[in-house]
Amino acid sequence: MSMQTPKEIGGIQFGLMDPETYRDMSATKVITADTYDDDGYPIDMGLMDPRLGVIDPGLECRTCGQHSGSCNGHFGHIELAAPVIHVGFTKLIRRLLRSTCRDCGRLALTEEEQEEYHEKLRRTKELGEDWSDVMKAAVRQARKAKRCPYCSSPQHDIKHEKPTTYYEVQDVLSGDYSELIAQAMQPDPDDEDDEGMSPQALAEKTGIDLQRINEIMSGSFRPRKEDRKALEKALKIDLTEEDMNKLMPSDIRDWFEDIPDEDLSSLGIDPSRSRPEWMILTVLPVPPVTARPSITLDNGQRSEDDLTHKLVDIIRINQRFMENREAGAPQLIIEDLWELLQYHVTTFIDNEISGTPPARHRSGRPLKTLSQRLKGKEGRFRGSLSGKRVNFSARTVISPDPTLSLNEVGVPERVAREMTQTMNVTERNIEEAQQYVRNGPEGHPGANYVKRPDGRRLKVTEKNCEELAEKVELGWEVNRHLVDGDIVIFNRQPSLHRMSIMAHEVVVMPYKTFRLNTVVCPPYNADFDGDEMNMHALQNEEARAEARVLMRVQEQILSPRFGENIIGAIQDHISGTYLLTHENPHFTETQALDLLRATSVDTLPEPDGEEDGEPYWTGHSIFSELLPDDLSLDFTSSTGDDVKIVDGQLVEGTIDEDAVGAFGGEIVDTITKVYSETRARVFINEIASLAMRAIMHFGFSIGIDDESIPPEANEQVDEAIENAYERIQELISTYEADELESLPGRTVDETLEMKIMQTLGKARDSAGEIADDHFGDDNPAVIMARSGARGSMLNLTQMAGCVGQQAVRGERINRGYEERTLSHYKKNDLSAEAHGFVENSYRGGLTPREFFFHAMGGREGLVDTAVRTSKSGYLQRRLINALSELEAQYDGSVRDTSGTIVQFEFGEDGTSPVKVSSSEDGDVDVESIADRIIESEFDSEEQKERFLGRVEPPTNLSEHAGPGLNKAIGTEVESDD
Amino acid sequence: MVDVSQHNLVPEHTVLDEPERVEEVLEEYNVEKTNLPKIKRKDPALRDTDAEVGDVIEIVRDSRTTDQAVVYRLVVE
Repeated sequence: MSMQTPKEIGGIQFGLMDPETYRDMSATKVITADTYDDDGYPIDMGLMDPRLGVIDPGLECRTCGQHSGSCNGHFGHIELAAPVIHVGFTKLIRRLLRSTCRDCGRLALTEEEQEEYHEKLRRTKELGEDWSDVMKAAVRQARKAKRCPYCSSPQHDIKHEKPTTYYEVQDVLSGDYSELIAQAMQPDPDDEDDEGMSPQALAEKTGIDLQRINEIMSGSFRPRKEDRKALEKALKIDLTEEDMNKLMPSDIRDWFEDIPDEDLSSLGIDPSRSRPEWMILTVLPVPPVTARPSITLDNGQRSEDDLTHKLVDIIRINQRFMENREAGAPQLIIEDLWELLQYHVTTFIDNEISGTPPARHRSGRPLKTLSQRLKGKEGRFRGSLSGKRVNFSARTVISPDPTLSLNEVGVPERVAREMTQTMNVTERNIEEAQQYVRNGPEGHPGANYVKRPDGRRLKVTEKNCEELAEKVELGWEVNRHLVDGDIVIFNRQPSLHRMSIMAHEVVVMPYKTFRLNTVVCPPYNADFDGDEMNMHALQNEEARAEARVLMRVQEQILSPRFGENIIGAIQDHISGTYLLTHENPHFTETQALDLLRATSVDTLPEPDGEEDGEPYWTGHSIFSELLPDDLSLDFTSSTGDDVKIVDGQLVEGTIDEDAVGAFGGEIVDTITKVYSETRARVFINEIASLAMRAIMHFGFSIGIDDESIPPEANEQVDEAIENAYERIQELISTYEADELESLPGRTVDETLEMKIMQTLGKARDSAGEIADDHFGDDNPAVIMARSGARGSMLNLTQMAGCVGQQAVRGERINRGYEERTLSHYKKNDLSAEAHGFVENSYRGGLTPREFFFHAMGGREGLVDTAVRTSKSGYLQRRLINALSELEAQYDGSVRDTSGTIVQFEFGEDGTSPVKVSSSEDGDVDVESIADRIIESEFDSEEQKERFLGRVEPPTNLSEHAGPGLNKAIGTEVESDD
Repeated sequence: MVDVSQHNLVPEHTVLDEPERVEEVLEEYNVEKTNLPKIKRKDPALRDTDAEVGDVIEIVRDSRTTDQAVVYRLVVE
């Protein structure tokens, strides 16, 4: 083990294998189709020969002497009675047959042409392009040659009958040549001038002896080629027919052996590695038994692998072939057997060849042969190498827990007991390690296994745990359960961006669900309606360190997609901060302390004033307690007022989605960029806590009555809709009178549709405005819509005012019956209600017809989302595959693995979106960041002077790091999350 | 036919005539010529230039993030 050092792979080259090499590396020749004898022992030179490797535990491999598990198995071989074609190379074989001379084997290109393709090949390889295009071009060129440029023998076209038959197409004299000639000599009955041709005239015209002509016409003499040509010319007929000369694999092999090495290299084939005749199999390698293990069923019967079944078939046919040949069987039978052998070898390699019936199991199930093992999603590459099942992973339902930090995940104790972390016992942790072992596998922070320095692994059981704990010594390894503070990877599928997999710190909890803080829902796109998530326990120190530094949730607050924060307050948090800051309410001392109790703030600032002899604090100053002391910011909130923060004090404005929300909350974004990820994490956690206390202080609920408007408002809405109907009626009458003027680029019909849609859109908007006017500012639905917590004013309009026009494919509903949508309407009715305008509100209730139209629109939406997700999923897969090897280099350029430049400067400006300011006028103030960091790093001016290098901020501090640790670097805020 | 090289969205394409300039570019990015991005000789943007296969083209384009971005292309067939 210690002798093995990691090696770097310089390159990989693929080529064909010489049949001689097969024989050399073969452990045994396989001649019998049987596997085991009556006693259950493998038969020598059979398919389960012990020299091919061992699968039964306890047996020794006859080739390498190792036991099952350590012996990888050894290849054997079958000597094929006749050569057969390898299906994987049929296209290449066809190309070579077409491009080389049938007699001398040379590539049918002149020296100059060969040189040209050589050069082209060199250039494409240099440019890193696909050289097989050059090969195809060379083959196309060579195929045009009627004669070989070297031995000048005529060339024939090659026909390829899939999968493995090749014919040479020759023009030969037709069998009924005499009748054809005689017929051509007869006068044409349709043409009066045609008198036909006498044998004498024919003889004269062709220059062939008259006697010979007679012999030819009687069919007793076959004209030679020149005579045939002359006859064809004289009689204007075609005396030839296509003859298909089947090329047997042995013929092809002989042909390919003649192809010289130099000619192969002009086709891009490396002759030192791959000779084309090796594409015709004379020897078949037999995969080791470890690659096709047989399984023993419950009833003691052995069941063989599909590959073994296929090999049995091959050996049987091979034997029959040999016996028949030796017995001198007729050619027809030999050819049949040859074809059968070809079929079996073909399906052994690939059982999904079109045009060939797949080889089937007795039950009718198609066999899974070599190619099927590798191909596709469940194949070796995509299913076993790129992705595999892993240990130390858990999956369960998720549920929310606002008391956790956003960096944490609640892990059920049952999961924590199953997932382990390896602990190397040293003199510093031996007591701790012993305690883990003593607790056993059942008790919570316990241990499942211990490993002695000699490599023996012992299972910790309830029975032996006490005893084992005493034995634990320095140098042992203890696999202890997950405990609070361990780092794990947490993931929700579909993993569409890098924030779908983040590292969390463990908090072990009772019950059976994973718990997470609601602020991490946006990056995972998670909700709690039954979503499940996966957790992976990391198994080495390097992985744990990387996860902590690079993957922890707080390091992912900024999204590289839009360069702003993706983690922030959501839903009730936003309603909460809105209520707290919108009208700047006053709180008594008790109330203020209650609001801040879940945060790390434990002293109140100076009161803002006195009311009835009691001091009071405003919502603004309570909120300000969470801000960094020197933060100054100006922006417009989504509520619409100007927010002004001066030196960490909220002077005016409402805190809502635009301030603290996920997806670009101004304050969160600024704190992350200007202060630190740690400060932002503290801020988000505390905002969430404060907001929850605030919303609970005020109380917040919504019911159906919150969407109702007074009767007079309803009348106004009805009136607005009635007006719209009238206008539409006017439009329709002008249209019917042929007086409607069409808009540029549209037909009159389209114009009418557009105008009606516009009118109805306006009607709904005015209904919305009317409803809006009658909602109070304290209406919870309005608060949610204004603050951006949930819902929009449009949703409110639809609930209280009017649902509006339903659309399918962006148009009014026009489908259904002939010239009408439903049989309730007259044909060609253009009115609003006949085309899916819903004038009622959701609260008021829809009429049956409106309901039907609404369902039509709704269904389109559902179908669209379903189609979109599947389309975009595949699009993303292709994009990922295309871009996966691009890498930003240290010089700022983006290159692929071959070193080809894709971008000279990453993104043309060489900046990372998460490092730049997200607003145009608010630059990130680097100077003040530097000052602040230096200020906080040093106690005295002298120290500061001495230092003018850089200190990396500790990004990997644990939530559970020791007491007194200042988690928010550069501020005195002390979080206790 | 429209000459796209005159369109205001098509950036300036110039052939790097002097071998030293080409050398400089290759030096700067530490690459072989063949590792540069490619442009076809028949590319409409090269119609006015006398670019030949193997030449290096300098493209100066306006950029939203940096005022001007300079990129290079190798002319291929």
